[in-house]
Amino acid sequence: MADQTTVLADVRRGMIPAHVYNDREIFELEKERVFSRAWVFVGHESEIAQPGDYVVRRVLEDSFILTRDEQGEVRAHFNMCLHRGMQVCRAEVGNASHFRCPYHGWSYRNDGRIVGLPFHKDAYGGEAGFQRKGQRLLPAPSLATYNGMIFLSMDPDAPPLEEFLGDFRFYLDYYTKQSASGIELRGPQRWRVKANWKIGAENFAGDMYHTPQTHTSVVEIGLFREPKAEKRKDGATYWAGAGGGTTYKLPDGDLDERLRYVGYPQEMVDRMKEQFTDDQLKVIGDDGFMISAASIYPNLSFVHNWPRVGESDDVLPFISIRQWQPISEDETEVLSWFAVDAEAPEEFKALSYKAYLMCFGSTGMFEQDDVENWVSLTNTAAGSMARRLLLNSRMGILEDDEPVVPPLGPDAFHGPGEARTGYSEHNQRALLNRWADDLEKPPVQAATLTVGGPGAGAQDAAGRTSPSANDAELPGGAVAQA
Amino acid sequence: MSTDLPQAPPSAAVTAITDPHPVPAGNPTGDDAQTLSEQSVLGRHASRVQRVGASLPFDDPRHLQAHHWLVDEAWLLDAQAYEDWLELITEDVHYLMPVRVTTALGAGYDTARGMAHFDEDKYSLSRRVARFLTEHAWTEDPPSRLRHHLSNVRTFATDDADHLVVESATLLFRNRGDVREGSFISAGREDLLRLVDGHWKLARRVILVDDSVMRMQNLAIFL
Ligand code: FES
Ligand SMILES: [Fe+2]
Repeated sequence: MADQTTVLADVRRGMIPAHVYNDREIFELEKERVFSRAWVFVGHESEIAQPGDYVVRRVLEDSFILTRDEQGEVRAHFNMCLHRGMQVCRAEVGNASHFRCPYHGWSYRNDGRIVGLPFHKDAYGGEAGFQRKGQRLLPAPSLATYNGMIFLSMDPDAPPLEEFLGDFRFYLDYYTKQSASGIELRGPQRWRVKANWKIGAENFAGDMYHTPQTHTSVVEIGLFREPKAEKRKDGATYWAGAGGGTTYKLPDGDLDERLRYVGYPQEMVDRMKEQFTDDQLKVIGDDGFMISAASIYPNLSFVHNWPRVGESDDVLPFISIRQWQPISEDETEVLSWFAVDAEAPEEFKALSYKAYLMCFGSTGMFEQDDVENWVSLTNTAAGSMARRLLLNSRMGILEDDEPVVPPLGPDAFHGPGEARTGYSEHNQRALLNRWADDLEKPPVQAATLTVGGPGAGAQDAAGRTSPSANDAELPGGAVAQA
Repeated sequence: MSTDLPQAPPSAAVTAITDPHPVPAGNPTGDDAQTLSEQSVLGRHASRVQRVGASLPFDDPRHLQAHHWLVDEAWLLDAQAYEDWLELITEDVHYLMPVRVTTALGAGYDTARGMAHFDEDKYSLSRRVARFLTEHAWTEDPPSRLRHHLSNVRTFATDDADHLVVESATLLFRNRGDVREGSFISAGREDLLRLVDGHWKLARRVILVDDSVMRMQNLAIFL
């Protein structure tokens, strides 16, 4: 594999070799070094609200059954039969107390444990030949939740999720915890675009600069009053922990007025005032900033906007959570969910959903033009000329790396991390710097697991273990391996 | 029909559009919803007129009119003559394209709960059309080359002489630029046509797409 030292050094000084957006070798490195260790979003607890509910989600090529077992615990099972490797669950959503493998009929409880093994005695000599007891579908190496959002890491030694997210949690709460009940997540719409996965993540992290140009049409049809150039410039852009995002500057007013300005009914405003911390409220009420788009490294994004949804001038806010799931260096599967506060009035939920459909997702009028750009960019990045071009991603810093605009002081911005107004690409650089850090680190060494072989349950000389340890008892479905 | 061949059962996809079937648990629209339009989040205003009886003979004038209407409409959609297309749509239209999901055979549903690709009324359709008419809808500038292939048209009477239910299959081919191959969307549709001032207009459309993961960069098209 080619040495990427120069590529990473260029990225670190804000000059992006254009081919990183369509490069097979870079993509192989990303699989090995980014997606093998990062916490990757797979779903929300509201998608599997009842015992037995499941959805099937992937991290790269790895399919996981995300399910709530009969005890109410959220689990993620690698979707491969322990016998000869058949995909155990071929539906993508449903409710099941058991999963039976269609190949030879091994069956598993929804907590992952084997319960049925046809002809166990005749075929294996019973427990003496194959210890069925304690065997279970392979759990995800690491599993954790924040505000009901379920994340997996392929690294069994991943740092705790909260540590990974870091101060971005402050901002994540605006999208996912507007009341004590948190969000309901609906969808996802799924579609494939011939674009590199990083482009969407970077765009949502901090590209306030594209809005007036890319999304002109949405303003022209009277749907959205905000993307005017000066509005974007006045918003604050922040980076904190594992992610960052953009905000809009709100007109003068107090906290309640500003939340109502973007269309929240008073009862939702009241719940936010109970739920959010003082500083979270001050970012809106005192500083006058309202969250818009954001990304968490590596490939999860958020959007919060407030378009008109009917003939009246009233606007209504919506939230979308979306994942840029890499398929290859030039293809991404977009998973786009609609999120809404579970305690919101039903009428609000319906209109917020309408706002979402009009703006984002497979049919969304913002998203349509974003994707067109990203596909063209990816096409153009494939050839040899793109290897000669270093794209300038230095917006917001001078030649000596000093910022064009200083960060906002603690009185102007009450959120954690670093925030500033004006146009910049600080966040795109922050995201790609993290990416460069990961690409530089040697890959995570994954342990191998054997199923019921000789000496099952013991660690062998190569450090491999069988999944037959008493892992079904471990909390959170997370199992330490090797 | 006059043949003595056994009557073919309606296909599962067709059944799913209109025939009563179990409402998935947790559906946000309540327990009495039967059809996909009724179950959808934004379909409350939609007309509830349903088909009655078997499909009309192919030489029935009502079938001929419905078929004619669909072919004309396909032409308008290919040409992106969306203002003219809006003229063919009633004020109370419900234009729905659910998200299809892969579920076990016995699950009783194969569309996502509370989510669709399109769940439109006249206002939202008109905004989409208005956007294409600005000079800044980049995703269709340069425009795609579109072809809506139409087939399998069956027309059904309803209890109301001013309404017809028409089923059809559509295969949309869309090609842009010169780098990528074109992409397809295959879908079954069930339309409710209403006679308004002597012209048939679209009052309800349910599009049952055959992909769970769309293979098109966006749905800046209509089906
Ligand atoms: S592969 Fe699953 S039972 Fe054999
Ligand atoms: Fe955008």
